[in-house]
Amino acid sequence: MTIQPGTLSLIDVSVEIAGHRLVDAISFDVGPGEMVGLLGPNGAGKSTLLRTIYKVVKPAMGTVLVNGNDVQHQTSAWVAQNVAAVLQDMPADFPLTVRDVVTMGRSAHKALLEPDTAHDRCLIDAALKLQRLEALQDRPFRTLSGGERQRALLARALVQQPSILVLDEPTNHLDIRYQLSLLKFVRELGITVVAALHDLNLAAMFCDRLCLMQGGRMAALGRPDEVLTSERINKVYCVEMVVQRHPSTGKVFLLPA
Amino acid sequence: MSEAHITDKQGDLQERDALLATLRAAPPPKVAPDIGLPEPGPTAVGRGRYAAVLAAMFGLIGVAVLAGMMVGSVTIPAGTALSILIHWISGGLLLEPDWREAHEIIIVQTRIPRVILAAVVGASLGVAGMVIQAIVRNPLAGPSILGVSSGAATGAVIVMRFGLLFLGAFTLHIAAFVGGLIALTIVFWIARTGGNMTPTRLVLAGIAISAVLSALTSLLVLTSPDPQLAARVLFWTLGGFGSAQWSLLPIPVAALVIGLGTMLVQARRLNLLMAGDESAVALGLDVERFRRAMFVLTAGLTGITVAVSGVIGFVGLIMPHIVRLMVGADHRKALPAVALLGASFTIAADLVARSIIAPLELPVGIVTALVGGPFFIWLLRRDARSLGVTR
Repeated sequence: MTIQPGTLSLIDVSVEIAGHRLVDAISFDVGPGEMVGLLGPNGAGKSTLLRTIYKVVKPAMGTVLVNGNDVQHQTSAWVAQNVAAVLQDMPADFPLTVRDVVTMGRSAHKALLEPDTAHDRCLIDAALKLQRLEALQDRPFRTLSGGERQRALLARALVQQPSILVLDEPTNHLDIRYQLSLLKFVRELGITVVAALHDLNLAAMFCDRLCLMQGGRMAALGRPDEVLTSERINKVYCVEMVVQRHPSTGKVFLLPA
Repeated sequence: MSEAHITDKQGDLQERDALLATLRAAPPPKVAPDIGLPEPGPTAVGRGRYAAVLAAMFGLIGVAVLAGMMVGSVTIPAGTALSILIHWISGGLLLEPDWREAHEIIIVQTRIPRVILAAVVGASLGVAGMVIQAIVRNPLAGPSILGVSSGAATGAVIVMRFGLLFLGAFTLHIAAFVGGLIALTIVFWIARTGGNMTPTRLVLAGIAISAVLSALTSLLVLTSPDPQLAARVLFWTLGGFGSAQWSLLPIPVAALVIGLGTMLVQARRLNLLMAGDESAVALGLDVERFRRAMFVLTAGLTGITVAVSGVIGFVGLIMPHIVRLMVGADHRKALPAVALLGASFTIAADLVARSIIAPLELPVGIVTALVGGPFFIWLLRRDARSLGVTR
């Protein structure tokens, strides 16, 4: 048996914090192995919606199903065995080594007092190697560059052996080369991915489908060429953009008009 | 730097697929033997190094214990002290007494309980400090920031001020513990108001309660008709092991065993707290409940140590830093090490405190602060240099 790509269903998910409705009745399904991008201006509710998937935020209404199970009825450990998240929190206050940080990813699979087994070490080594971090594994995490940190957090997510990967602005602070390599890597991982992204062109390039959000509501859902039209971008972001097709890949891309 | 992911060479692609297959593989059956899988290099090296550090710490504690038995109003030679110790531990079976009975009485009745109390208090403060730093995700925190120490001091001062003895010989200790508990409850209640108990709110609540309680303590002392009270209170609050006796030991020893035991069982989860609250949840930890439980545990442990020995500063703040420098931040390794180092440090500090102006004694808190403060400053500067200007 191997780890299979998972399914995710958001059914009428609404989130309220301190009386403000940050996410309003969002529904969509993500199929096995699919990569869905969440787009929208700052404050559109992308991160808040993602938080309901890895169970940091409880929806005021609606249901989040991970592999058919309501996450609110599951333990945090169960959720972490199925969903891994790469977030912006950086474990930089303590002298943790890169390997320590990656090892944290195994936690949800371990019983109390259970030591790291050969299997755990094997997974950790594989994840470090995949992210080209073998040589840095004993370095303090806080001495890494932005790109290296992001790779370490991705390695930590990989050893969770998730069937769904959640990424919140994964390309922030990365140069264009790391942005491309990270998204390409995630795309080819073969598991289900939901990512909040700011760069419309990267989203169009890598995602199967896009969910465009505005003020907590869903403004559009569909293939990149369906969602990214100049009228809709104008409506949501209040900017004029020209939509074109890439001459070699055939994917849509946008330029300021 | 490395060519992260961007390489299309055939060999690299094959290697990548093999690594991905490893990651996707479900865990092997539990009975599968591990034979044939070589130990990864860095881990094996790390393990050897850790064993060496622990051995050195055991050596250190041995030296400290021996010195603690030798030094005092009467100096007892190392050989005699060791013989008496062996004789005593074996229940009188081993070694024929060839020493003066007075020496045996001094060692067994006074010095051994004192060394044990110092060790238990040092170990408790060390582990409590390390866990508190993880709970509030701030390496500059220590056991005293929870307000427990101030509460304990207030409780003790009330007993001294009004000459209460209604609970017998240990009234002072019991009052200190109850004071700590009350302060802890208030801090807990403030920090929880409005839902989540965040690290910042916990620290701020602790600081506020400490300030109020210190003012209350000062008020009690200044309005007292007893001119000696101020000195006695000062002496008590600066900590010491002068009250050590066998009958005082069971509670702090039990608290350390239970506290450290629980922390070791939860060590992997304590590590997750260092990742940040949101990541810790995403990694499978119920952060809110876990932080609450660990807060009560460390505060209880701190309260008991303060009750038996007064407020001994800097041990819980500094020992965790030194240990992390030596064995890293992983609690599974760092907690046993910090218990050992904290114990050796307080035994040594107590030795200095009772011998430097003999036959008088200094409060041990003065020694730990005088040694610990400058060391901490050095540590901060060193840390800042090694990290450059990035933080």
